[in-house]
Order: sequence, then C-alpha cells, then structure tokens
Amino acid sequence: MLRNYFKIALRHLQKNKLYALVNIFGLSIGIASCLLIGLYIWHELSFDRFHKNADRIARVTWQYNFGDAENKTATTGTRVGPDFQRHFPEVEAYVRLLKYPRVVRYENAMFDEKAFLYADSAFFSLFSFPLLKGDPKTVLAGPDKVVITASAAKKYFGNEDPVGKTVNVGGTKDFVVTGVAKDAPAASQIRFDFVGTFSSLGAAKEEKWNEANYVTYLLLQDEKSVPVLQNKIDAYIRNIAKNEMQLTGPQYMAYHLEPLTRVHLHSELDGFEPNNNILYIYIMAAVAVLILLIACVNYTNLSTAQSARRSAEISMRKVMGAGRGQVFRQFIIESFLLTLLAVVLALLLSALFLPAFNRLAGKEFDTDILFGPVTLIVLLLAAVVIAFAAGAYPALVLSGSRLISTLKGGFAFTGSATLRKSLIVFQFVISIFLIIATIIILQQLSFIRNKDLGYNKEQVVVLPVDRTISEHYDELKKALATSLGVVSVGGAYEAPTHIDWSDGITTKDGKKITVNALPVDEDFTRTLGLKIIAGEDYSQTDVLQFDTSNGGNNLRYSFMVNESALKQLGWTPEEAIGKTITKGNDGVIKAVVKDFHFRSMHEPINPLLIFYDKRIASSLFVKLSGSNVSATLQNLEKTWKERISHRPFEYHFLDEEYAELYKAEQRTAGVFTGFSSLAILLACLGLFALTAFTMVQRTKEIGIRKVLGATLADILALVAKDFLLLVILALLIAAPLAFFTASKWLDSFSYKVDLHWWVFAGAGVVTILIAFFTISLQAIKTALANPVKNLRTQ
Amino acid sequence: MIALQHISKWYNIGGKPNFVLKDINLNIQEGEFLSIMGPSGSGKSTLLNIIGMLDLPNEGRYDFFGQSVYDMKEKHRQDLYKKNIGFIFQAYHLIDELNVYENIETPLLYQNVKSSERKAMVGDMLDRFNIVGKKDLFPSQLSGGQQQLVGIARALIAKPRLLLADEPTGNLNSKQGEEIMQLFKQLNEEEGITIIQVTHSEKNAEYGSRKIDLLDGRIQQHIKENISL
Repeated sequence: MLRNYFKIALRHLQKNKLYALVNIFGLSIGIASCLLIGLYIWHELSFDRFHKNADRIARVTWQYNFGDAENKTATTGTRVGPDFQRHFPEVEAYVRLLKYPRVVRYENAMFDEKAFLYADSAFFSLFSFPLLKGDPKTVLAGPDKVVITASAAKKYFGNEDPVGKTVNVGGTKDFVVTGVAKDAPAASQIRFDFVGTFSSLGAAKEEKWNEANYVTYLLLQDEKSVPVLQNKIDAYIRNIAKNEMQLTGPQYMAYHLEPLTRVHLHSELDGFEPNNNILYIYIMAAVAVLILLIACVNYTNLSTAQSARRSAEISMRKVMGAGRGQVFRQFIIESFLLTLLAVVLALLLSALFLPAFNRLAGKEFDTDILFGPVTLIVLLLAAVVIAFAAGAYPALVLSGSRLISTLKGGFAFTGSATLRKSLIVFQFVISIFLIIATIIILQQLSFIRNKDLGYNKEQVVVLPVDRTISEHYDELKKALATSLGVVSVGGAYEAPTHIDWSDGITTKDGKKITVNALPVDEDFTRTLGLKIIAGEDYSQTDVLQFDTSNGGNNLRYSFMVNESALKQLGWTPEEAIGKTITKGNDGVIKAVVKDFHFRSMHEPINPLLIFYDKRIASSLFVKLSGSNVSATLQNLEKTWKERISHRPFEYHFLDEEYAELYKAEQRTAGVFTGFSSLAILLACLGLFALTAFTMVQRTKEIGIRKVLGATLADILALVAKDFLLLVILALLIAAPLAFFTASKWLDSFSYKVDLHWWVFAGAGVVTILIAFFTISLQAIKTALANPVKNLRTQ
Repeated sequence: MIALQHISKWYNIGGKPNFVLKDINLNIQEGEFLSIMGPSGSGKSTLLNIIGMLDLPNEGRYDFFGQSVYDMKEKHRQDLYKKNIGFIFQAYHLIDELNVYENIETPLLYQNVKSSERKAMVGDMLDRFNIVGKKDLFPSQLSGGQQQLVGIARALIAKPRLLLADEPTGNLNSKQGEEIMQLFKQLNEEEGITIIQVTHSEKNAEYGSRKIDLLDGRIQQHIKENISL
C-alpha cells in the first residue's frame, strides 16, 4: 500500500514537472533558510552555556552617580571580587579580568596580542576552559605566570613544548608559560589567546572600589542565591557608599548581579566580545518562519489548485473501496515524500550556501554540523510537521470531495478559491513587508555611512602608541609626517569614532557639567579635519605653555569644546573664547569645534571637551594623500621599523574602525536583503505556478474570447487583474505594518532617515511589476496560442 | 438480492422538487443480467449509483441480501460494498498514473489482501483477459477497448457478486462493444455474477435477461423474459 502511494506520488511529480519543481524547490529554499538561521540562533542561544558552572556564575555590574550623571558599566574596581567573597558566604570564588592588548615576544617572534587577559588564579577552575597542559588550580597561582592557547603556542613555539618557557610581555615584564589551554569556543563572551596572572598588575596591589577597569565574575554556591545575595549586596553597598565613599545627596552607587548566560543576549553592557540583542534573534527567527510559511503556502495553494486533476483518481479509488481516511493518508504521505525530497535538497543547498551565510552573519559554521545526527533528526521531525502543515488542507479537501459530482462532471473547486486568494495575499504581505524593511535598513545604513560626521575618516591610518613610544613621540611623529604620501600626523588618547572618557568641568561661576573628554596633540584637529567655528587651533604656543614641572601643579590646560557643551554652558561661541574653566587644573577655552559624531548614531552628540596633553596619546592618526596608498604604507612601515623595535608595525584604517560600530546593523541588513529576496522569489514562484493552473482552466474561455476578437492586451488584463488586486490588497496591509516596525527600529537611533511615502509606494510598484511579469510569462503563452486548437481540445 | 422500495431522489430548483427518480420499486434476483434503458436524463445512472451505494436517495428503502443498506453503519456498508460490488464506467476511469497491473491491483490494496496473494490474483486476471503483455503499459498507451478490458478486470479482481456497468460500450466501436457484451454474458452465465448495465442500445440490452425502461424517473414497464437462475 505504502509502495503504491509512493509510486503514484513520484509518477505524479514526474508528470507535473512545474508543480514538482515549484513545490520541492520552494520548500527546500524555505527549509534551507530555516536551517541556516536556526544554526545561527542556536549558536547565539548557546553562548556561555558550555561552562560547567554556567548557572552559578554571575557578572557584577556597577551603577553609580557621583554627582554629574548616571553611569552603568560592566567594569568594577579591584575590591569587588575579594571583598564580596569575604563578606558573603554565597560567593564561593571570584575572578577579576582585564583585557589589555600587549606586545608579546619570544626570541624572534613578536606580535601585538589583542586577546591578552589578566585573570585571578581561579580563572580555569571557575570557567570551563579545558587545559591541554597544566593544572587548572595552580597554573595562575603566584605572580608572572601565563597560560596560552594551543594556537598561540603554535604561533610562538611551533612544535616545542611551551611550558616552562619565558615570554616577554609589553617590553617590560617576563612571564613563565605554565599551561596550554584549548582555544576558547566561538560561543563565549570571554575569548583569549593569553591569560596572565592578575597579580602581575600594579593595580592588584591595592583593593579599590573605584578605578573600575576590571570585569568581576562571581561563582555562587547556588544559582538560586542570586536574589538573596543581591539584597545583601544592596544593603552592604549603601553602607559603604555613605561611610566609606562619603557619597551624599543624589550621589550613590550600586552593584548588580547578572547571570553569565544572560549577558550575551539580554545585557545592555557588552561582554568582552560584542553582545547580540535578543530582539535581533527574534527578528531572525520570524524571518525564517515567514519564509518557510511562504513555501508551505505555495504547497497548499498548488495542491488545492491541482485537485481538479486529482479528483478523477480519488473518485476511482473510492469506487474501488478506499475510505476517506485512506485517501487522506495517501495525500499526507505524498506531502511527506515531497517534503523529504525538499529536505534533502535543502541540506545540499545549505552546504552550498554556508560559506556565504557565514560571511553574512559573521559566523564560522562548519558543514559537518549540517550533517550531524542532531540536525538530521530535527530536519526529519520538521519534515513531518511541514508535510502535515502544508498537506493537511489539500488532503482534507481532496479526500472529502463528493464522489458523484466528480464522476459526473469533473471537479469544481469553489470554497477554497477564497482560501487560495487569502493565502496569496498573506504571502505578499510578508514579501512586501520584508522588502520595505530591507529598503529602510539599507537607507539608514547608507545614511550613517554617508552622513557628515564632522571629521574626515577617509585615508586615515591608525597606529598604536605605548609608553615606550611615548618617550620618542615627537621624533616618530616627525619621521612619519615627512614620509612620502603623508599629509599630516596627529595623536589622541582615543579615536574620534568612539570616545569613552567621561569627565566633568566647572566654570568660574560654579556651574558643573558632565562631558566626554579627549586629550590630543597639537596636530589632531587639523589631521582629522575637525571644523573650528570660533577661536584658533592649537599652536606651538600651547606646546610650550604645557608645563608639567612641579608635579603638574603649574599646569594650565588649553581647551576646546564642542557646540553641545556650549549649549549646556549657555554661551555663544564668541563668549566662550578666553573663558577659564576647570578640569582638575584650570585652563582657557581656545576654540569651539563644530559638533561631530564621536559615538554611534544610536546616541546623541554629547558635550565634549578636548584638551591638549600629548603625554597620554595612545593612537597616532596618519592622514594620507590617497595616491599610491600601498607605497605610502611601505614607507610608514620602514620608518616605524627604523625607530620601533619592541612592537610590530600593525595598523588599521579609521573608516574600518567606524564600520565596526555598525556591524550588528550591517549584519541584520545583509540577512534581511538576502532573505527578503528569497521571500519574494518564493511568492512569485507560487504565483507563477498558480497562473499556470488558472490558464489551463481558462484555456477554453480565452479561446472563445479570442475568436470573439479579444486582443493580447485584453486577455492579459483579464488574467492579471485578479492577481494584481490581491497584491495591491497585500500592499495595503503590509505598508502600515512595515511603517510601524521600521519606526520602532529607527527609534533606537538618534540620527535617522525620515520615512518617506515613496519607499512604501516604491516597494509596492516593484512587487506589482514583478508579480505582473510573473503572471504575463504564463498568460502570454496561452493568449498567443491558436484558439481553434484550444477549443478543439476541450 | 436487491430490493428497492419507494426510492425517490430530487433536487430543489426554485423551491420546487425536481425529481430524478420517483417512487422506484425494483427487485433483482441473484444471477440476473438486467439492462436499464431510457433517454438521456431519465435517471438511469442515478439509479445505478444508488444500487452501487455511491449515491443516496432522498427517500426509500434499499435491501441488499436482506439487509437494510441505509440502516447500516458507514463502515459496514463500506465492507459490504467492497466485497460485493464492481463498477465499470463508460469513460473507463483508469488511474492515469498507474500501469495496467497496478490499476487492477488497487481494489485489493483497499481490502488488505496480502502481497503474494495479490500477485497471484492479478496474474490470473491478466491471463484470463489475455493482457499479460500489456501489464506494464499505462492507460494512455492502450486503445479504448483495451482500456475497458482493464476496467472490467479491475472490477472483477475482488470477485464481486454484483457487477454494475454504466454504458460500458459507449466509447467503443461496434466490434469492441460486441466483445465486451459477449464477455458480460459469459460472466453472467458461467460464473453467476449478477450484472446490471445502463445502456442506450437495444442491441446491448438483448444480451441481458431482463430490461427496464426509465422515463422521467419512473419505471415504464417490466419486461419479464426467460429468467435463467
């Protein structure tokens, strides 16, 4: 019996190739999309769950207001970990972490290591990063020890055993390698190449509540103790804040416990690796489900449209004694067979497009994962569900068809025409929604990319400055500036793409405001192209005037402020020039710079204070002329190597750094563009096949109309009208939905594009054109056929 | 074998009943070969379908081997139908996607006959109708007469006691038609299968043992001839 069902299903597919193609291909695209997105979601959801203690680990975040503004950071002072362990029995262990780029050297191998962590000794026992060599309890006990990953070991030591070897870190300290760890998994908020002992840090000598540079993780005795412990901490810290920190009035501080496994998707504060947003996970899941739905709708629609063809067969089966249940089963099995074929094809498609998807989503999935037992079982279950979801309705309709009417005069499908139409509308609502969403995301991203930031990020090379380089700062700068192809060189503590330094200033009349602050050298504003709207740029006078003698007591700053700062201070640019303000030391406002975006576009432009202090510059910005960039880079490298021996020449471009800020959005955009194209492709595929069936049904009608003198255009209009009305209805439903959703998303940006009506109209016109084209492909074929022939076959 | 009492069937058109069958009373003995005749629209096929349990009347009583068909449970009726009735159509109604062998086999699938048994039964049937060589062909590859032969083979495969034929020769040329009618006669006489056929042709009706004429849903006359039991 089963064999008979399979046989007839296969023969049916063979006979109706278009139907089979649209169904199998459509379903497989839907399934493949779901599979890939499912991988992505599974990966994001699995973040940090590989730790044996995952449920018992909490990150401590710090919320405080010291009189200027609300602050919330994932970093805490050195005291939090040890102090909490001493005071609260619920805390079993703690690890403080600092991620700090270091230059590591072993013999001739020297690299700038971005993933260098300093960690307390409990690191390897608290977290589950397996060690290939060394004992997790002791590898980080005692000062100046370092554990390296297998890939770092390979990089520095080749095949030698690294344990016991000494590496130089930062040009100042020697660390002994005590262990080798397996590379950290991709789904981890902590990733590292080196883990050095925390006790090697100067800051480790003293326990402090402030100077919050460290991420503290606590291992709790019990996952359920979080609320209890949180209450205890609140009471304890209120006391500390009042008596020890002497905070008064609106000033306060508090520590919050954040379960480790919630950090990646639910926290507003990044882990060491950038967080994702659970909202984006939901969106991705929705997109996947929508695409699958479109494919399922195609199946349902085509099968019911086809029922006219199957009705004779079904009637005969009933005449031969088949019960309704048996016929139903036959069609469900047929649906399952088709889905199974689609699943196989989907697996192949997924494997084929996995590299592209990895690029799009910024992941590193291996094809092995697609063919693993878990995936296959999930797919098989999915096939059953899909087979039922898509096949149940047609099976129900077909098995319930009235026998006699079929035997007499063929099969008339009346009731489901409405359903079929509703389903088409549904498909196009999804497609149009996705198209509009994609256009708006792309618009916003292009707006961000092309918005005048207030400085020039193009053709700027960023080079690191450390303490050793700082000693020869001017020399190096001069040498770089005179290299061929270099326009100018300026330095600052942070890049203008993202300024974190938070500070406060006080005016002479006692007004205090919170600002972001940026220490720069004399060439910074010029090099980055900041616009000065009042006053003058730094000059040699400021350099000479910068007096660091007498322990900094003689120091008088030269300040610049931005327009937002002026607005808060209530001054016009002209008034501001020459005013004295205080930031620790006094200083005079030399210039007002036009507002520029120094944070992501999600945030408004805050008040900014620029001050001259090149001692703490940590980056050099080299502006290139832009002609022959590679030669210029070679020149820079030569100049660098002549002067700097303790650090490799490693650079990046400022615009790359800027692009990093919008990686999440860029990814969403990529995913949206890709999958909304798929959605419309599938919807049109369905429309195409449905038109084909309609045309078969209407062949006679069209033949008669042609005999009566209808032109091609008449017939095209006749056929297209019905479908196009549905698409227009879909547009009317999708547009407000998309408008609402897009507004929500755009609200997360302080600087955003306006929603124009033509985006919606444009999406509509494009969809209608595509739909019309799809319909015409079929309709023209029928309309051009010889009417006499058509009529004869009827 | 079959007793129809006061069978009526109608459709409501504009609030008035439009009778397809009106007060039909008919008894058919096992072993009869009955021909139902009448002009188009006289209700022949409807009557045949009601006898074949494919259609229901609005009114009346139907006894099949002494059991009241309309008082049975659906499943019971289905069983009765599967075991006893074979159908043959004017348009053959073979399943296009199945070949000759599979078409003949299908009724057995719905009666849960074992695979080996099915093979033997279909083999016999192919042999009997001399179509062994055609068992792998699809309906579209056969002539009309051959298709109807397959249709008959399919109707007979489950060894029914009642064969219902709705204008079985309507789409065939006269020679093919004659062959089919000869076959019917043989089945009726040699194997005792009860046959009811709907036909337009007097000549075909002559093959039967009894003839009834329908006009506007009523039986016109009973022509009793030599009943061969």
